[in-house]
Amino acid sequence: MQKGKKFVWPILSVVIVIAMLLGACAAPTVAPTQAPVVEPTKAPVVEPTKAPVVEPTKAPVVEPTKAPATVGDIVCTDVKAGDTISMLYQWSGLEEENLNKILASFVKACGVTINAESSRDQALLDTRVKGGNPPDVTFWQTTQLSQYKDQLKSLDAMGIKLDNYADFWKTMGTVDGKMMGLPVKADIKTIIWYSPKGFEAAGYKVPTTWDELDALVEKMVADGKIPWSMGTESGDATGWTSTDFVQDILLVKQGPQYVKDVISGKVPYNDVGVKDAYQIYGKWAMGDKYTVGGAKGTVSTGFNDAILKVFGPNPEAMMVKQSGFAQGTILGTYADLKYGTDFDFFGVPGAQGLQGGSDWMMAFSDKPAVKALFAFLASEAGGKAWADAGFDLTPNKAGAAAFKDPALAKRADILNNAKDFTPDIGDSIPGGFGSAEFKGITNYVNGGDLDQALKSIADAQATALKK
Amino acid sequence: MASSRTPAIMKQGRLTPWLYLLPALIVMSIYILYPMINTIGLSLKDANSKGSAATTCIEGQPCWGILENYRYALMHEINTTSAKTTWDSFWLSSYGNQIKWLLVMVSGTVGIGLLFAVLVDRIKQEALAKSIIFMPMAISFVGAGVIWKFVYAYGSSKIQIGFLNVIITGLGGKPVTFLSEVPLNTFMLIIVGIWMWTGFCMTMLSSAIKAIPEEVIEAARIDGANETKIFFNVMVPIISPTIVVVLTTMVINVLKLFDIVYVMTGGNFSTDVIATRMYTEMYKNFQTGRGTAIAVILILIILPFIYMNVKRFMAQEEMR
Repeated sequence: MQKGKKFVWPILSVVIVIAMLLGACAAPTVAPTQAPVVEPTKAPVVEPTKAPVVEPTKAPVVEPTKAPATVGDIVCTDVKAGDTISMLYQWSGLEEENLNKILASFVKACGVTINAESSRDQALLDTRVKGGNPPDVTFWQTTQLSQYKDQLKSLDAMGIKLDNYADFWKTMGTVDGKMMGLPVKADIKTIIWYSPKGFEAAGYKVPTTWDELDALVEKMVADGKIPWSMGTESGDATGWTSTDFVQDILLVKQGPQYVKDVISGKVPYNDVGVKDAYQIYGKWAMGDKYTVGGAKGTVSTGFNDAILKVFGPNPEAMMVKQSGFAQGTILGTYADLKYGTDFDFFGVPGAQGLQGGSDWMMAFSDKPAVKALFAFLASEAGGKAWADAGFDLTPNKAGAAAFKDPALAKRADILNNAKDFTPDIGDSIPGGFGSAEFKGITNYVNGGDLDQALKSIADAQATALKK
Repeated sequence: MASSRTPAIMKQGRLTPWLYLLPALIVMSIYILYPMINTIGLSLKDANSKGSAATTCIEGQPCWGILENYRYALMHEINTTSAKTTWDSFWLSSYGNQIKWLLVMVSGTVGIGLLFAVLVDRIKQEALAKSIIFMPMAISFVGAGVIWKFVYAYGSSKIQIGFLNVIITGLGGKPVTFLSEVPLNTFMLIIVGIWMWTGFCMTMLSSAIKAIPEEVIEAARIDGANETKIFFNVMVPIISPTIVVVLTTMVINVLKLFDIVYVMTGGNFSTDVIATRMYTEMYKNFQTGRGTAIAVILILIILPFIYMNVKRFMAQEEMR
């Protein structure tokens, strides 16, 4: 037995080593879920005759049918039936279905095939671009517009018209004087949720200016009601609801240009304007009378719980500032509540611009099919298709009337009437600024020194933006 | 004579021992040595692992040249304005917290584990008692973190759902924010660690106690030693090698600790430890240089304990 054992181990370990070596040598398969997005709809051949594929050996006699240049509202100039567009985006599941729905009419009209990959891993996109093998089209964030400015095809060169877009989108998308991508999806954070019934019962009106909001908050306190539900707990990302709130205050008090200057580093984070916004926020977020549970409640209540505290049978607060997803949270717990009567929202009064996220379509290829796709999404038909699918909001103004969900339509209205749009400060500065910002504001609310918190964030800002 | 009959194939050449070691050496170099060397290399570079770390220095601010990431790793959390702020900020930094963890958790797990090991040795339901104490080991750290988050939960309104706060308010007290009250929160997290690892220490120590020959204890009793004396003067010296192994193992465990802090506070409210800070720099901030610098520091702190552990282990093996 002893002998047998002695032989088994070396052999076994050699086998294991070989297996490990093989494992190590095998190409590290990044698994980009090959998402079969759109059925390879064949071009709508004019005459739906019998299946053209009779025998694979026989080449089709007829040249590839040119798709009609225009089908309905969709222009397919120079696109050949069967042309392919490769795509890489972060969306999956329901999001992906939404995109497919939006592109369905284009795919059908122009007869293109879309080969899509879905991955949340930006490294995958980066590797593909650096390796000279980028997808034809990608949907990603604003930062990629400048990151890949040398590889991207500009919209100007592709001749895409942007009549349906507000000027601030054009400014955001312009790098070195050229429009590098098309904003396709947006969501806004600069909104406050409340219960119309609760407001009515107490005789409160929706404020239209910041001063009115301030007065309303004080009135609620005087009435013995708690105005805000401020919970910010979110695991290791605790603090993001706080920084969102501060950015909205900055948009009211200092305006969008100031926010952009903070992002570019022109304004240091410990500037007096930022400090002022922190103090306004702090007064509410740390006051026992202003928010549920005072400072302790703010740092230890989950952001989803915070939303729910404003609604339901025993509401504890009057208002909560949160993005559009709050609706899903409310309905997830209180399915009976009705939008418009039981819960509703208003834009942060006095905000001189909005805060939110946006997704951009970018082209690494300018072949006809890609051009047609851009032209489609920038057109009235594209805007309507996007709104109809209800995939958040579309920056394409032509879609405004096509939203089916009244809450989306209202948010779209706020977006379309906005004077400016700023991305999240924390997301826009790389290299540790975001987590420094979260930590700093959380420490401040938890009783830490404000100047020190701002200084630590400003240090991170300076380090991150150092060229 | 006999040797000349041994077939050549069975003779050990000079290379034979190396041949046997080869698999282990290959595995070690691919999975331990290479990553370690690479980590040290990366810790001297910037966030993109391209330029030297010295390029990330900011003018007018302290800079350690190529060791800039180490300056960040060691000094960033420290406020050196005065001796007092230096001490305060150090005590609340990831290093200060790591010391708290080491002191309280290691002594807690080993102390309580030893106590239980001695006590359960004397009762009838030993197996049952042991398995109950050992049970938390079967739960993942993440699971334990989530469970204890509910134990410590603080309801911002009148309703408390946290186990502890329900008791406190039930007795007429004021609810406590266990996870955001500095420095109470770190100690509350350490309790979770003790809860999880005491069973491990108890099992190890209990088996050592069982190995003590009955005659030794009998002899001590006959000589008139009481139970306390037997424990301190007979049992502890005999099982001291095991105690040292358990101690060093726990020290290494605590130094690597990550899950509890990450799940329960995410390192907020001054609860960061070295491992969570390393994670934040590496995977949230994408500061590869800083993250690897913290990793190297962590390795340097752990190394002596691993050395001690291995030495002890070898000494123990020799005794057998």
